[in-house]
Amino acid sequence: MNGRRGGWPLWLVLGLLVLLHFYLRPRFFAGRGAPDFLLLALLIFSIRSRPGTAAVAGLLVGLVNDTLSPAHFGAGMLSHTLVGYLAAWGRAVFFADNLLVNAGLFFAGTWLRNLVILLASGLSVGALMASLTLWSTLQAATSAAAGVVVVLVIRHRVDFRIDE
Amino acid sequence: MYRAADRSTFPRDTVLFLVCVTVSVAALLAPASVTLAIANSIRDTALRPLVWLQGRAEEGRTSRARLQEAVGQRDSAVMAGRMVPVLQQENESLRELLALRSQMPATGFVAAEVLHQPLPTDGRTLLLSAGSGEGVRPYQPVVALQGLVGVVTRAGASSSIANSWAHPDFRVSAVTVDGSVLGIVAPSANPDPSLTVLEFRGVAYRDTIPDGTLVVTSGLGGVFPQGIPVGRVRGVRREELGWERVYQLIPLVNPGHVSHVLLLTLPAGEAFPDSTGSDAP
Repeated sequence: MNGRRGGWPLWLVLGLLVLLHFYLRPRFFAGRGAPDFLLLALLIFSIRSRPGTAAVAGLLVGLVNDTLSPAHFGAGMLSHTLVGYLAAWGRAVFFADNLLVNAGLFFAGTWLRNLVILLASGLSVGALMASLTLWSTLQAATSAAAGVVVVLVIRHRVDFRIDE
Repeated sequence: MYRAADRSTFPRDTVLFLVCVTVSVAALLAPASVTLAIANSIRDTALRPLVWLQGRAEEGRTSRARLQEAVGQRDSAVMAGRMVPVLQQENESLRELLALRSQMPATGFVAAEVLHQPLPTDGRTLLLSAGSGEGVRPYQPVVALQGLVGVVTRAGASSSIANSWAHPDFRVSAVTVDGSVLGIVAPSANPDPSLTVLEFRGVAYRDTIPDGTLVVTSGLGGVFPQGIPVGRVRGVRREELGWERVYQLIPLVNPGHVSHVLLLTLPAGEAFPDSTGSDAP
């Protein structure tokens, strides 16, 4: 991937999202509905990468999450790998620069990530449904909103090509 | 505009994906001691700056509220403290008369921030901003102002992991506050998903506990000191074959919302059952 001349390189945007995740989110958002900037970084990277590269990125992001919250080590790696791979694969069926598509992707990605983690955690059906319908949906919505803001900020500043 | 969608998925991508899935599944199936050790080493090296950053952010968010809370607690403590020397003297005299040994003392504590993660499993395990450098060891009880939060399972150099009471493996020996009924507290697989509760197990069938009764740690087992509030009884959950009642317990602390905790330490010379970390809970 090559940064556009005069624009922001992608790594800078991803780095900023990591900083937002570890500084802005705990500073201003509390609770299970807080947006997940690390997942947003993964999705923004994945939608502009090859599926294999996105899967590896997902594995690494999942490893970070599992390291910080090792209730079920490996669940985060599995879920983020799937989300990264599917997001990259999804490039074949939608336009990556459409704002609504991006919002939908962020929502679906967050929700799917939570679904896989909850399934791997072995929750009861009732708790699983409550978590999926309430908290996961809320977090997916906040993450999608935050993601749209990020895309609005970077869409004319970041451009790059995918390596062949 | 971005490049037109790539409509082919190369074998290399599929292979990478399958490798990643295999690694993830292997991590899921690996023993907890291995995965916790891996997580510990990554947290203490590559992620250390980020954990530090989150700790500072968490401090910043809660500092104002904590200051007000601390001032209120200090005032209350000053009022309550006026009676402490008299009660202490009275307690010692009575224990001497009854030939009772003193309860297990937890003389110190390490304060830590809870660094919440935006994952649905956050609350089962908690990342704490204090590690072995501050004196944190596995098996240290984790408490908040309202009561018991959990127990430390792994202590890294600058951060540690605790299992909260919501973790499926969590157990604590407990007793009603009047000391009449003893049992084991464990998390409940609750069919009502809107309510996360505990169970007070092993209560003899002949014993009944009124609703609202406070349940505290019993001090048995050598991990949790006596008298840490755990929860309040809310009815019988089930009865086991006519010899045991299992009560529902409403926990006093919500691990998903707690932001500041204390990790209790033992006096010098005393140790928790296994402080090597090799067989952490």
